[in-house]
This record gives sequence, C-alpha cells and structure tokens, in this order.
Amino acid sequence: MAEDRELDGRRRALLERMLRHAPFDGWSLKALEAGARDLGLDLGEATLLFPGGLTELVAFHHAEADRVMLEALVRHDLAGLRVRDRVALALRLRLEPHAREREAIRRALAFLAQPQHAPLAARLLYRTVDAVWHAIGDRSTDFNFYTKRALLAGVYSTTVLYWLDDKSEGQAESWGFLDRRIADVMRVPQGLARLGKLGERFPDPFKLLRALRRRGAA
Amino acid sequence: MNETPKRRRYLPGDPEPESLRQRMIRVDHAGEYGAKRIYEGQLAVLGGDAQVRAMAAQEAKHLETFDRLMVEERVRPTLLSPLWHAAGYALGAATAMLGREAAMACTVAIEETIDAHYRRQAEALGPEDAALKETIERFRAEELEHRDIGLAEGAERAPAYPLLTAAIKGGSRLAIWLSERI
Repeated sequence: MAEDRELDGRRRALLERMLRHAPFDGWSLKALEAGARDLGLDLGEATLLFPGGLTELVAFHHAEADRVMLEALVRHDLAGLRVRDRVALALRLRLEPHAREREAIRRALAFLAQPQHAPLAARLLYRTVDAVWHAIGDRSTDFNFYTKRALLAGVYSTTVLYWLDDKSEGQAESWGFLDRRIADVMRVPQGLARLGKLGERFPDPFKLLRALRRRGAA
Repeated sequence: MNETPKRRRYLPGDPEPESLRQRMIRVDHAGEYGAKRIYEGQLAVLGGDAQVRAMAAQEAKHLETFDRLMVEERVRPTLLSPLWHAAGYALGAATAMLGREAAMACTVAIEETIDAHYRRQAEALGPEDAALKETIERFRAEELEHRDIGLAEGAERAPAYPLLTAAIKGGSRLAIWLSERI
C-alpha cells in the first residue's frame, strides 16, 4: 500500500542516518537520536517509526539487507552456476553493498552479541540463510533443509567477521575467504559419501534374514 | 523504550506466524514419509510382496504431493525427520519379522491413526483451504483402502494383535503430536 511504502521510506531514511552515528555512539538510542536530529525529528518521533526500539531497528536493518540481496540476485542468471557459485554470489551480494557501513555493522553485531539478544541474533541469521537457500533454488524437504542452513550459517558468520576487518581493495580477500569456507563445507558431503561406501561393504542383515526365512520355509 | 519481551514479538522482516495450514502440511509430510519408511522396512524383510509394494507406491504419491506443497508454501520440514527415517524402517522391519500378518496389523494400526488424523484436519479446514481439504479427503479414502487390505490379508491373526495395534497407534499419535510442533 502507498502508506506502507511511505512509512518504509521514512524508516529507511532514519536507519541510514543512524548508521552514520553508530560508529561513534554504538547501536544505541544516542545514535538513533542523533540520526533523528539530522532529519529534523526528535527521539519521540523516531520512536514512532521504530516502536520496538533498538531490537526492531537491527531486525529492520537485517531485513533490508536481505531484501536488497534478493533483488540483486534475481537480476543474475543462476541456472548456469553451480550451487557453490550461487551461494558465493548471494553472500557477496549480501555484503558488498554495505562495505562503507562496516563500522556501524560492527556495532550492530556487538549489540546482537549481548546474551539477552542471542535468540534474536539466531533468528536473524536463520532468516538470512533461509532466504539465500530458497533464492538459489533449494527445494529440500528432508533433514538436508536444516543441515544446509546450519552449514551456511557457519560460512556466513565467519565471512562477516573476516569482512569487517578486511582492508584489501574491494574486500577481495573476503571473497577468497568465502570461497575457501564454501570449499570446506563441500567436503562434508564427500566425506559422508565415502563413509556410505564403506557401509556398503558390510553384508545387508535383511538380505540374510530373508535368505534364512526362505530356506526355513523350503 | 527497550523492554525485554516475554513472548516473541513480530519484528520487521519476520515471516507471518505459522498458520494452522502450514503445521498441517509439515505433519502430513512427516506422516507420509514415515509410512514410506515403514513399507520399506517391511519390504526389506518380506522381499517382493506385491500387495505391500502396491500400497508403498500409493504412499509415495502422497509424499510427492506434500513435497510439492511444502516447497510452494515454504513450510519447514520437521526437525525429527532422521528419527522417523530410522524408527519407521525399524517398525516396518520388526513387524514383518513377526510375520506377514503382523506387518498387515501394523498397516491397519497406522492407517486407522491416519484416518482419524486426516478427519480432524479436514474438519478444521475452512472454505479458503478447499483444495487442501479435498486432497486430504482423497488421501484419507486411500488410507482406508489400505486398512481394508490389511484386514483382508489377515491382520487380526497377527500375534498379540490387540497389544501390537495399541502400541503402534500410541506411537503414531505421539509422532504426529511431535511433528506438528518440532
């Protein structure tokens, strides 16, 4: 609806201003107030835009980043890419646009790292990895649904931490780190497959049982 | 301004809280997957039983339907899938080892539980979910056919029939309750 879009626009503007103050004041009401002042609002009006406070702000920030990633992902041709390349592309699209906000993001992560925000942090991470897998075409309906998300959560969070401190040109080293983490994870199914092949060496107990029953009946 | 919430609040970007419909799809998917594994366990012991194979093929079709619905509606699968993967197979194999009649008794018990379950679901669905309701009713009719086949093939002659069916029904009801939530 038009009003929702207008509201979202104002929220995005306030968030964007707050992000400029967060490196100095942390992910705090102080930063929010400073950002609001930039837009000619007071803290009360800022609270109306984000009634849930700092937790709602961080969730909104995350959701916006996910949305931007998904919109960018749609513009690429994923069909020609291998799964690992799709994952790498998605995570790059998730992080690259925010290279200049890394200090603010560091503060947001410090906020999320507080123990009382642990469930929220887990939820936001889950939302992101679920969005990535769904966008790149994952259609699992068995436990792989969860293993994929868990593995990607590990890859994503370590990559973010590396990326926050990456001083290389265009954060190129982060993308190398990302590729190496994805490669590590790809080795897991290979290892599991090797274990499975070992299992095939052993006789099938049910075949034996069946053979016994047949001989017993005969 | 910042209060610690007692219950989970809706935050920007959160998906809608899970609807009844989504929980139904999850539990039905888990149920059909469990049924598939039970038949696989039975076939592993009984070998090439045509009757069991035919019923297994129908369950496979049911599972396909719920697979499709699950993806279309972005319903998460049950976290207990590995448990049903192992327990279903074990139940099928164990009952088949007691004999073909016991395998049929297992089928009867499971199908009766599923019949009651699908009936409750169909009653809970409103007109906006008419297509899902129709699917569930159709599957329910097919599950009842399986039950009739089980009875015709001598389920009641299975060893300790009342105890066996009671135990399997109890277990399946627990499995349904858990898969709706976890």
